[in-house]
Amino acid sequence: MTATPGMRDLAHRLLIYEAGADNASEPMEPPALRVYEKLRLSLGEFVGVAGFQSLASRALTLSRAEVPSLRAARVAADGSLQGLGNIETQFEMGKDLAGDGEIVLIARMLGLLRLFLGEALTLSLLRNAWPGEVFDGRNSVHGRKA
Amino acid sequence: MSTQDKVQINKLPTGVPGLDEIVGGGLPEFSFNIIAGAPGSGKTTLAHQFVFANATPERPALYFTVLGESTIKMLRYQQQYTFFDPSKLPGSIRFINLSQVVLEKDLGAVLDQITKEVEKASPSVVVVDSFRTMVRKPESDMDLQSFIQRLALFLASWQATTFLIGEYAEEELRDNPIFTVADGLFWLRQTAERNSIVRKLQVIKLRGQDSVPGLHTFRITDAGVQAFSRTFGLTAHKRNPPGGRRLSFGIAELDKMLDGGVPEGDSILVAGSSGTGKSVLATQFIAEGTRQGEPGIIAVFEERPEAYALRASNLGLDLETPQKDGKLTILYLRPLDLSVDETMQSILDAVQKIGAKRLVIDSLAGFEMALSPGFRADFRESLYRMIFALTAIGVTILSTVEVDESFTEFPFSTYSISFLCDDIIRMRYVSIDGQLRKIMVVIKMRGGNHAKDIREYEITSKGVVILGKRLTNFQALISGVPVHSDRPGSTEEPALDTGIEHKT
Repeated sequence: MTATPGMRDLAHRLLIYEAGADNASEPMEPPALRVYEKLRLSLGEFVGVAGFQSLASRALTLSRAEVPSLRAARVAADGSLQGLGNIETQFEMGKDLAGDGEIVLIARMLGLLRLFLGEALTLSLLRNAWPGEVFDGRNSVHGRKA
Repeated sequence: MSTQDKVQINKLPTGVPGLDEIVGGGLPEFSFNIIAGAPGSGKTTLAHQFVFANATPERPALYFTVLGESTIKMLRYQQQYTFFDPSKLPGSIRFINLSQVVLEKDLGAVLDQITKEVEKASPSVVVVDSFRTMVRKPESDMDLQSFIQRLALFLASWQATTFLIGEYAEEELRDNPIFTVADGLFWLRQTAERNSIVRKLQVIKLRGQDSVPGLHTFRITDAGVQAFSRTFGLTAHKRNPPGGRRLSFGIAELDKMLDGGVPEGDSILVAGSSGTGKSVLATQFIAEGTRQGEPGIIAVFEERPEAYALRASNLGLDLETPQKDGKLTILYLRPLDLSVDETMQSILDAVQKIGAKRLVIDSLAGFEMALSPGFRADFRESLYRMIFALTAIGVTILSTVEVDESFTEFPFSTYSISFLCDDIIRMRYVSIDGQLRKIMVVIKMRGGNHAKDIREYEITSKGVVILGKRLTNFQALISGVPVHSDRPGSTEEPALDTGIEHKT
């Protein structure tokens, strides 16, 4: 089973947002890592390091089945994502070139959250980590328009 | 010190139906509370209800989870309750997992972490779930008692109302120094009685205000924890003593036997064996009330409301229209494992909802059978509490009870509850001239006079109809097997007793 279109769409929006948040004066991590780190910080607070680590590991395992190149990535004991930099990313600001691996990984994480916590709570938690405009026009992680 | 010099302690809503009444109007603000009990007793759910009822974006709640249940799973299950509002997370309610700190460091580090988060968020509510699992390292620099002492001091200064949740067994309650720190101590129990689970809540301690003592039944439903106060939530209600009116049955001859009707606010027992017309009489009592604009409740246990209303319509009594008009509620109470307190709470809710003046419980035997076996032992005591509470606010209660017919005795009830009743009407069969006929007699009226007459009656298409005058040409009528006497039939009007009370 692959990541659902709704989850991929939401993951894509988050990646686009983080790409747009690039500040040229500072060296920035790839957008996918920034999305991942925001998830780690906001979710890690309430699920704990171990809780987040297990969630991320599951998401990565599911993603690898869709995108074999993600085999190079791994989730460390503190929940951080390592090895993603080895994967060639083509994500550029303003272009729809997000690497499929990044989108799938983030989509899988969001999908797990939705599976365990439900849609309303997942969106509540995401809204705490990203500004509202990222979710404008969305009432659900299925991508329904408001 | 005058009243105005005293500090005013605000009471916070608990978010748990029935619990505000039990704790004396709400939980004291800034209090430091412990919720204790065995796993699965509802501790976390109770704390969540309090959090959701009180947290705001300006004064959020911090919910610290420690070891034990995974937070994701906890939220997965807790959001099934109707009180759970996902939009409150994380703006108004923040869940913070401390498991890493607990695993890697000691209680001092845990306290530091809690302190840091509280100073940052300035929460109105703090929950630590479960604080007991933090005691993992015997070599810890800080023991649990010191930890709780310091936490209590800190959180009180930061104006937070706090709940610590701990798994404790019953025997750990005694002499536990940890509990001395707490302002409030709530104990949740669940016990198996025969095939039923009985949940009870006790407020062992609550500083600063009167709580209702004793064990209170509670249930966990889709709406979360619901508690049933032993006072049925009526302590906060203004007493509305009966006004001395007499309530009619709509049966002129019976009203005469009762010296004008049932005194308002009385508890009447209608006792008789099967088929004597107890339910018919009860229905007439309610129907007459609704006819006179007095809302009523019928609590039935042995037949469904539709069947009850249909049977009434066959007697020319319309129960449908007053139901539609909100003047009558027929409650069908027969779920499994019902506790007596929650049954009574359902009745009380209905009484209060429509402002009922008359209540019929049909029947006490059905009521008892609907209860969980573990609660049957409390039946009389609970019934006493409910009758006392309801009659105090002016509700007149008619209960029916089936009695085993005997030709050597004349019992009023198999429950020894007649002392709970102000008035008793006894109906029974008698064998006369080769027919099984019915007689009725008013046994007792605590509030005054009543007729001593034994009257024959029939159940017709118009309900209970009292026939003729009192039966004077028989002896030993109440035995059920009377004998003809030599006296001619009487033509007197029913004689009124002058207050002689029969032994019940």
